[in-house]
Amino acid sequence: MSIEFILDNRTVTAEPGETILEVARKNGIEIPTLCRDERISKTTSCFVCVVKDLKTGKFIPSCSACPAPGQNIDSSSDEVKDMRRTALNLLLSEHAGDCEAPCTIACPAHANVEEYVRAGKNGNFMEALKIIKQRIPLPLSIGRVCPRFCEKQCRRNVYGQPVAINEFKRTAADICYDEYMEDLPVLSGKKAAIIGGGPAGLSAAYYLRLGGVAPVIFEAMPEAGGMLRYGIPEYRLPKAILDRELAHFEKMGVEFRFNSKIGENISLDELKKEYDAVILAVGCWSGSSIRCEGEELALSGIEFLRDVVQSGNSLANPGRVAVVGGGNSAMDCVRTAVRLGSTDVNCFYRRTEKEMPAEKLEIEEAKEEGVKFHFLAAPVKLEKRNGVLALTFRKMELGEPDASGRRKPVEVPGSDYTLEFDTVIAAIGQKTSAPAGVPTDRHGDIPQLTGEKLYAAGDCVSGAATVVEGVASGRAAANLVLKDLLGIPLPVEHSIYVSRGNWQSLSKEDLVFLRDDVSDSPREELKYISLEERKNSFKEVNFTMTPEQLAKEGARCIECSCTDKHDCALRKHGECYHCDPEAFPGAKQKPSYDIRHPKIIQDRSKCIKCGVCVKTCKEVVNLTLLSPKLRGFATYVGTAFDQGFPAGCSDCGKCIEACPTGALDWRIKK
Amino acid sequence: MNSDIKFFRVGVASCGVAAGSAEVRAMLEAASSVPVTGVGCIGHCYAEPIVEAVLKDGSSVFYSGVKANEKSIANIIELGEENRFQIPETRKSKELVKVLALAGKVDPVDFDDYVANGGYEGLKKALAMTPAEVVNEVKIAGLRGRGGGGFPTGNKWGFLAAKEAEEKIVVCNADEGDPGAFMDRALMESVPHQVMEGMLIAAYATGATKIFIYCRAEYPLAIKNISTAIAQICEHKLNVFSNREIEIVIKEGAGAFVCGEETALIASLEGRRGQPRFRPPFPTDSGYNGFPTMINNVETFGNVPLILREGGSAFASIGTEGSKGTKIFALAGDLKYPGLVEVPMGTTLNEIVFDIGGADRSVVKAVQTGGPSGGCIPVELFDTPVDYDSLRALGAIMGSGGMIVVGNDRCMVETARYFLDFTHRESCGKCTFCRVGTMRMFEILERITAGKGTEDDLTTLEDLGAKIKAGSLCGLGQTAPNPVLATLRFYRNEYEEHVREHRCAALQCNAFVDLSLDTNKCVKCKLCVKTCPVGAIGDDFTIDNDKCTRCNSCADVCPKNAIKRVAKGTK
Amino acid sequence: MDCQFAYLRKLPDIPGNLIRGLQLIQATEGYVSDEAIKAAAAYFHQTPVEVEGVLSFYAQFKRVKPGRFKIAVCDGTACHIKGSPLIQEWIRQAIGIAPGETDAEGRFSLESVACLGCCSLAPVMSINGRVYGKLDRRELNRILKEYKEK
Repeated sequence: MSIEFILDNRTVTAEPGETILEVARKNGIEIPTLCRDERISKTTSCFVCVVKDLKTGKFIPSCSACPAPGQNIDSSSDEVKDMRRTALNLLLSEHAGDCEAPCTIACPAHANVEEYVRAGKNGNFMEALKIIKQRIPLPLSIGRVCPRFCEKQCRRNVYGQPVAINEFKRTAADICYDEYMEDLPVLSGKKAAIIGGGPAGLSAAYYLRLGGVAPVIFEAMPEAGGMLRYGIPEYRLPKAILDRELAHFEKMGVEFRFNSKIGENISLDELKKEYDAVILAVGCWSGSSIRCEGEELALSGIEFLRDVVQSGNSLANPGRVAVVGGGNSAMDCVRTAVRLGSTDVNCFYRRTEKEMPAEKLEIEEAKEEGVKFHFLAAPVKLEKRNGVLALTFRKMELGEPDASGRRKPVEVPGSDYTLEFDTVIAAIGQKTSAPAGVPTDRHGDIPQLTGEKLYAAGDCVSGAATVVEGVASGRAAANLVLKDLLGIPLPVEHSIYVSRGNWQSLSKEDLVFLRDDVSDSPREELKYISLEERKNSFKEVNFTMTPEQLAKEGARCIECSCTDKHDCALRKHGECYHCDPEAFPGAKQKPSYDIRHPKIIQDRSKCIKCGVCVKTCKEVVNLTLLSPKLRGFATYVGTAFDQGFPAGCSDCGKCIEACPTGALDWRIKK
Repeated sequence: MNSDIKFFRVGVASCGVAAGSAEVRAMLEAASSVPVTGVGCIGHCYAEPIVEAVLKDGSSVFYSGVKANEKSIANIIELGEENRFQIPETRKSKELVKVLALAGKVDPVDFDDYVANGGYEGLKKALAMTPAEVVNEVKIAGLRGRGGGGFPTGNKWGFLAAKEAEEKIVVCNADEGDPGAFMDRALMESVPHQVMEGMLIAAYATGATKIFIYCRAEYPLAIKNISTAIAQICEHKLNVFSNREIEIVIKEGAGAFVCGEETALIASLEGRRGQPRFRPPFPTDSGYNGFPTMINNVETFGNVPLILREGGSAFASIGTEGSKGTKIFALAGDLKYPGLVEVPMGTTLNEIVFDIGGADRSVVKAVQTGGPSGGCIPVELFDTPVDYDSLRALGAIMGSGGMIVVGNDRCMVETARYFLDFTHRESCGKCTFCRVGTMRMFEILERITAGKGTEDDLTTLEDLGAKIKAGSLCGLGQTAPNPVLATLRFYRNEYEEHVREHRCAALQCNAFVDLSLDTNKCVKCKLCVKTCPVGAIGDDFTIDNDKCTRCNSCADVCPKNAIKRVAKGTK
Repeated sequence: MDCQFAYLRKLPDIPGNLIRGLQLIQATEGYVSDEAIKAAAAYFHQTPVEVEGVLSFYAQFKRVKPGRFKIAVCDGTACHIKGSPLIQEWIRQAIGIAPGETDAEGRFSLESVACLGCCSLAPVMSINGRVYGKLDRRELNRILKEYKEK
C-alpha cells in the first residue's frame, strides 16, 4: 500500500520499500548522494543525502530511510544544504589528489598541457596543435617567448627539472601550423571591432571568429603583432615566424585595418555605432621613467626596441650602454645592444640577482653574450657632459621585505658614484595609455567591462604582462562578447581544484604515476647557434626541438591530473554546494596508489570510504576481492594482504563504474 | 585462631586480585582452620585486598589493605585490631544496595550459595506467570536500559514477544566499552548467576530460543565466571522451559567500543566488522542473522530478578518519576573512596561525590558522566539529581554509570582532547561526520593544547560538533562531541585562555609549561640529574627548558618536591 | 587445511564463528599470521581480504608476534587522569618501546588499552594479564626489573 508524506511542502506518494531519495527523484527533486548505488545493498556512508524530518528535527540519510505516513521532510532549506555542504567539506578535507594537473592550473590560458604533451609524445603533432589552440591561438610565438608558468609548477621539478612543456607548442606549431585549419562556423552576422592587434586583440579576434562573430582589428602601427613585433627582439621571435602566425588569421577571415589609431583617424563612438561590440586591447606602450634628475635624457626600453625593429635591426652601434632595470624587457634591451655591435653593455639593478624578475635563462644567456651586471645600484642623476651621458648611482643594501615579499632596497648614504655612457635605457616597466574618453582605474588601467558594447582585454586591463596572459584575457573578452551577442553561455569554470600541493612541498613518494613507462631521463637540452653568431646577428638563438627529443620529453610527464576529473561526483556535488576543500584543514590519507594491475589504478588517497566498490565486488560480481580495513579515520579499502588485484579479478570494471571518485579507475585518461 | 570465626570471605574480583588478594587468599587458606571463600566485589575498591571474617553470631569484621605476609594474616586469624575496616557512615546512609546485595557475599561460582541466598526465586516466580504477565511486570517496574540509552526495558521485551519467528534471540551486552566504567565487570565477576537469571527470565517472557552474552575479552574473570554459571544452569536444566531448551552462547568481543551499539554488536556476533547500520529495521524486527533480536545490558538483566522477586511496584517505589530503581556507579578519579556504589535514582551528585566518594570539596572541579559519550558537570551544579533526564538536560548522559571526578588541577581542554582521541580512533569509519568530523575536532583540540589554536577554532568546534551530533549514523558519533560541547559550555574560559593568552591554568598542557627547580628546597642529591632522560638538568641544577620534554620524571624522583611545573616563561 | 591450524575444526565452520576462530588462533599462536588468515578464510568460507577486514577492525588482534611479556598500559579515563601518559613515557625510558612496539630481543611488547576495568586502582597496567595498580615511577621500575630478570 502506498504511503503519503510531505516532501518540500508537497504531498507525495511512496510505494512500500521506496526510500525518500527514490521518491524525491521521481518527483524531480534532486538529492545528492555519493554512496547510493541501486545495484547493491545500502551503504549509508556519505551522508551527503541528508534531509530533515521537520517533526522530530532530526537529520536522516534519505538514501536509506523509507518515509513514514504523514512525515514532513525538508530537502531544500539552507539548514539542510549546510549539513550537506559540511559532509562534502569533510570528505574533501581528507581527499588528496589533483583534480587538474598543476601545469594546467598554472597556465594563465589554462591550456590542457597533459593532453598536448601526450599527443606530442606520440608524434601526433596535429592533435597536439588542436589541443593547444583551444586556449592558445599564437603557438608559434608563445612556443618561443612564454616565461613558462607551467614548467615552474611541473611536478617533475621534484626530480630536478621540469618537462620542457613549452617546446611542445613550438615544435607542434613549427611542423603543423600552416596546414592546420579550424572548423569555422557560419558567421552570425554580428561583428566586433578590436582595437589593437597584439596578443590580446589577436586572441579575442580568434575566439570571436570561432564563435561566429566577424572580427575587425584596428591597429595603430603599420603591421600587426603588437609587442610580439615591436617589443620582442628578432633573435627571440623572428619576424618571419610572426608573419607566418599572422597569415593564419587572415586565412580565417580576420580583417586588419593598419595605421588606424583611436582618437586620431578613428573614433570610438563611430566604432560603437558601426559594430555590435568593441574590444579595447591597446596594450601598455608608455615606458616608465627612471625617476631621477635628467630622466628625459634616457631612452625608454620600449622605444629602443621599437626603433630597432623599425630600422630593420640595423640601428647604429649604441656605444657604451647602460640599461636600468631587471625584468625581461631589460634583458631584451641588453641583448639587442650586444647584437647592434656594442661591446660594453651594462645592466643595473637596485636589488640582487636573486630578486631579478627576468627569466633565469634570459639572464644566463645575456651573461654568455658578455653583458655585465651591476647589482644594488639605483640611478640618482643623469646629465650630459661633453657629449657623453654621466649616470650617477647610489649604492643600495637590502632591508626588510616589502609587500611583494622581496627585500626592499635601502640607500647607503654617501655611496654615490658616476659612470659614463653613450646610451642610457630605462627598462623599468610600461604603463597603459588609455584612449581619451575611456574610464580608467587608479593605476591608469581599463576595466574589463567599460560600458555598453565596450570591452577591454590584455595589458591595458592588467598592466604590462606576458603574452600568454594577454591571450587568456583576449579569450575571456571574446567569451563575454559571444555571451552578450549570441547568448553562448560562458564556459563552465571549476571552482574546486583539490591539489596534493605544489612540488616544493612534495617528495618523490608523494607523486602518483599512472603509467609504468614514465622515464627517468634528464630534460632534453635545447640546441643553440654558436655564441659568435648570437652576438653578431639577430638570428634566432636556439633550434626547435625534434619530434624524437619530444618523444623523450613526453615520456617524462607524470600526468598528474585525476583520471576521473570529468565525472568525479565528489567534485560535482562539491561545486554545486559551494564547498571549500580547505574548510577543515587536517591530516589526509597517506598517498598510496597501486598500479600493479595492468589496467586498473587504485588511489587510496582519493577514496571516500563509501564501500560501494566492496559491495559491488561482493554482491554484483560475487568475488569479494576488496574489503574495508582498519577503522576510524585510518579506514581504507584494500585487497588481500594489500598485494593488489589478484589473478581472480576478472577486470570487469564494475567497481570502477561504481566508484564516485577517482579512487578506482582505468589506467587511461579519458 | 579465634574461635568466634565461622568462615572468611576474600574479595577476588579483578580489583582485589590486582591489589594482591590471590596471595592473601592462599596464605589465609593455609593458616586458617575455617573455610575461606573467594567472593566478588563489595564495591570498596580503594580498600582492597579486603578480608571479611564472618563470626558465628552472624556479624562480620572487615579488614582492608591486607598484605600477604604472616603478620597481617595472623592479625586477621586472631581477630586483631589492626587494619580493621569500617564502611564510612556517610556512605552507609546514602547507599541502597539492591542489585549488588549478593556481590561480595556469595561465592560467584557456587550455584548452591546463590540459590541459598534467594537466587533463581525470580525465575521460579516468572515461570509460574504467563510470558505476557512477566513483560507487564517489567513495564510496571519502569525499568529503563542501564547501558546508557535509557529505553524502557519492558517495551523492548514487548516488541520481541510480539514477534513470530523460527528463532528469537536475547543478547546480553557485556561489552562495557566506556573507559572508566566497571559495574558490569563487577556484576559478572561477583554474581554471574544473577545476571544469567535475568536473561533466562527475559528469554521466557519474550519467547526467545537463544541467548548470547557478548563480553569484552579484557574481562577474563567475568568470562570465566559466566561460563561456569552457564554450565551449572545447563546442568540444573534451568534453561529448559515452555517445551524448549534455550541455547546459551558466550562470545568474546574483540576490542571495539562501537560494538556497544546494537547493530554493530549484531554485526560482530555474526562474525563481521562491527559497523552499525541504519535503523529501521530495528533489531527486534531483524537482528542476528535476520532473526528478531533484543539486546539489554548486564546491569539491566541484573535488576530483573529483583523485579520478579519483589514485584514491579516495589521496584518502582524506588527512584524518581522517570527513572526507577537504583543505579550502580563506578566512581573514580580525584576522590578518596573510588569504587562501586549503588544508590537510588535521583540521588544528587553532591551526595555521590562528597558523601559517598569522600572527595575534597575544595579540589573538585567537575564530574564526567557517561565517559566519552557524556559530558562534564561543574561542581556548582552538583545538586542535580542523577537520573536519565536531568543529566541529558545538562548535555551529559547517564551512560552506563562511569563517574570520573575531575580535580582543579585538571585542564578541561586536555580532558576533551583525551575523549576525542578515544572516539576518533573508535569510530567505525563508515559515516562521514563521525569518521572525518571527530578526527577534525580532535586535531583542533590538539592544536589548542599545543598552543596553536585560534578563536575561530572554538567556533568551528561548536559548529562542527553540533553537526556531527545531528549527522552521524549511530550513537557513537551522535554523542562523540559531548565532552567538547559540555566543556565549551561550562569552561569556555579555559579554552579562551589557551588560545588568547597561551596559558593553561592547570599547568597540564606542556606547550604552556616550564619546569622550575627551587634551589632553596634542593638538597643537591642529583637524583633529578641522573633521572632526566634528555640531559636537560645541568650539574648546576638549572633546567634547560628547551631540551626538557616535560616528562616529569625529575619532579617525580625529587625527595624534596623542589621541582614544580610553572607557567611558561616564569622566572 | 594447513595442519598448523587444524584446531579450528573445534568450531563449527559457519561464517559467524570467524571472530572466535581468529581469537583461537591468536590464543594459540600469539598473533595472526598471513597463513593463519588464509587458513581461517578457507575454513569459514570467506575470502582472505574479508578476514583481514574483520581482523583489522578489532583492536585485540595482533599481526606480528608479540614479546614474551605483553605489557598493556591502561589509558582509560581514570588512568589517564591519574597519569597513564607518564607511565607510557617511563616505560619507554626503561625499555625503549612505545605502544605498538616490541623490543629487539622479543622480550617486551607494549600496547595502550582502553580500560582494564580497575579504575579505582588507577593508574594500572597489566603484564601477561596480571594487573598492577596504583603505579608510580618507583613501583613501575621495580616491576619491570623483576620481569627483566625473568
